[in-house]
Amino acid sequence: MSSESAISCRNAGKAFQLYLHRNDQLMQALFGWAKTFYKKHWVLKDITFEIKKGECVGIIGRNGAGKTTLLQILCGITKPTTGSVDIDGRIAPILALGSGFDGALTGRENAIIGGAILGLKRKEIVAKLDQIADFAEIGMFFDQPMKLYSSGMVARLAFAICAHVDADILIVDEALSVGDEAFAQKCENFIAEFAKRGTILVVSHGLDYLRTLCDRVIWIDAGVVREVGDPDVIIPAYKAAVRKDDEDEANAVIGGGQAA
Amino acid sequence: MPNILTEPFERAWHHRELIRAVVRRELTSRFRDSFLGWIWAIFAPLAMLLVYTTIFTIATPAVASGVPIYDYAAASFCGLILFNVFAELAARSPTLLHEHVHFIKKSIFPAETIAWTSTIRAIVYGAISFATLLAVRLFTVHYVSWTVIFVPFIILPFMLLMLGTVWFLMALGAFTRDVAHLMVSIVPLLMFATPVFFQVEQLPAGLQPWIKLNLVGDYIAMLRDLVIYERFPSPWMYLGCFVASYAVFLFGYRFFKEYKSVIVDVL
Repeated sequence: MSSESAISCRNAGKAFQLYLHRNDQLMQALFGWAKTFYKKHWVLKDITFEIKKGECVGIIGRNGAGKTTLLQILCGITKPTTGSVDIDGRIAPILALGSGFDGALTGRENAIIGGAILGLKRKEIVAKLDQIADFAEIGMFFDQPMKLYSSGMVARLAFAICAHVDADILIVDEALSVGDEAFAQKCENFIAEFAKRGTILVVSHGLDYLRTLCDRVIWIDAGVVREVGDPDVIIPAYKAAVRKDDEDEANAVIGGGQAA
Repeated sequence: MPNILTEPFERAWHHRELIRAVVRRELTSRFRDSFLGWIWAIFAPLAMLLVYTTIFTIATPAVASGVPIYDYAAASFCGLILFNVFAELAARSPTLLHEHVHFIKKSIFPAETIAWTSTIRAIVYGAISFATLLAVRLFTVHYVSWTVIFVPFIILPFMLLMLGTVWFLMALGAFTRDVAHLMVSIVPLLMFATPVFFQVEQLPAGLQPWIKLNLVGDYIAMLRDLVIYERFPSPWMYLGCFVASYAVFLFGYRFFKEYKSVIVDVL
């Protein structure tokens, strides 16, 4: 891995273990050395790519292609079954916004814990609390228990925390679909600003947005990298492929009715 | 390659800010919505200790014959403090990962810290009970053994034992809910295999070595030595407990680490 690269993924693959019975998981944990109790289901196969520092890369692919699993591997949430992943720098994952919050605690307290999860010292995060509250625009709710928040407020606070941890690498998964127009715009502005100094990996179905933001896109299809390159080339190709798939499907329905 | 003996500590040190933030949260939020707040943390052990003392005075159990009743109540309470820490953790560990599933699956939350935070929390409540016990001792026998200053040396290896147990049960509990049901059923029974209301020496000689295998019971005996009898536990016993607890600690950590990546997928 060169010192230039922020993320390097070599032949990474992920197989989930499918169990017939729930209790087979325990049997596997205890007696896995003697017998295999599961079937492997490969979600990702042989994924290899490198992202340089300062690059902004989009990931596209249809539902179920393995995008989220790939992000989970890159964040270190789950381990790849094969291959390896190297990350250089602090990651701020904006995955499912606000899923790690405790409703009984105030926004302020959750921000402190959220910052600690992302590796910030208490002092550092406390110094940034005002900025976070400003960015999230939740006003006096910052000191109210989060169970009183609307879902938009939760998402705004979560984004605000990730935006203020001084990460080197931002990993964004569809986060921008939450919140109202104005806040989505604010997030997009932040990401565009971040793109000037840091590395970004973003998964989105907003193809036009990716086209304006990204230097490169990675197209993942059925768990493998189908193409990597210039968004202006790949995204039209992807759109065409999706359209073709949809047409095939429609034809199959009209033709034989087998797909239905 | 991190040293196998110190790796769990290095990881905990690395995540110390997170552990601190979560412990703080757990301690401050527990009594937040109550009017009396932290008074409850003292009230529960105090009430229990007073009730035990009263009942033992009225109806002295056979195992307490020949012992000053205040000492017997205090000895039982020492046993209860450590046993309750164990019971709470053992009953709760198997569901810990299920409770934190959003953290684990959706953010880069280091799941091994959950064992630290729950153990520290349980020890803090144990310490409150212990302080209550010392206060009551001052009140009843007007005396506290000077050897109590060595109690932290008992608690340290006890904590390692608890951490190892929590890691192990946490990982196992992630695979099947049966572990949770099992622990809830057997923990109360384990109390009878632990010298809480009696001393190991009061048992038939043939049974004693078996009961001594119960490390929680050994810690209870050592705690009583320091708190009530003003004497030091046998150094061999201490050393044995320390080594065994450290082994449980390392085993629990290895077990948890081994299955950590699988656990994320099965939760």
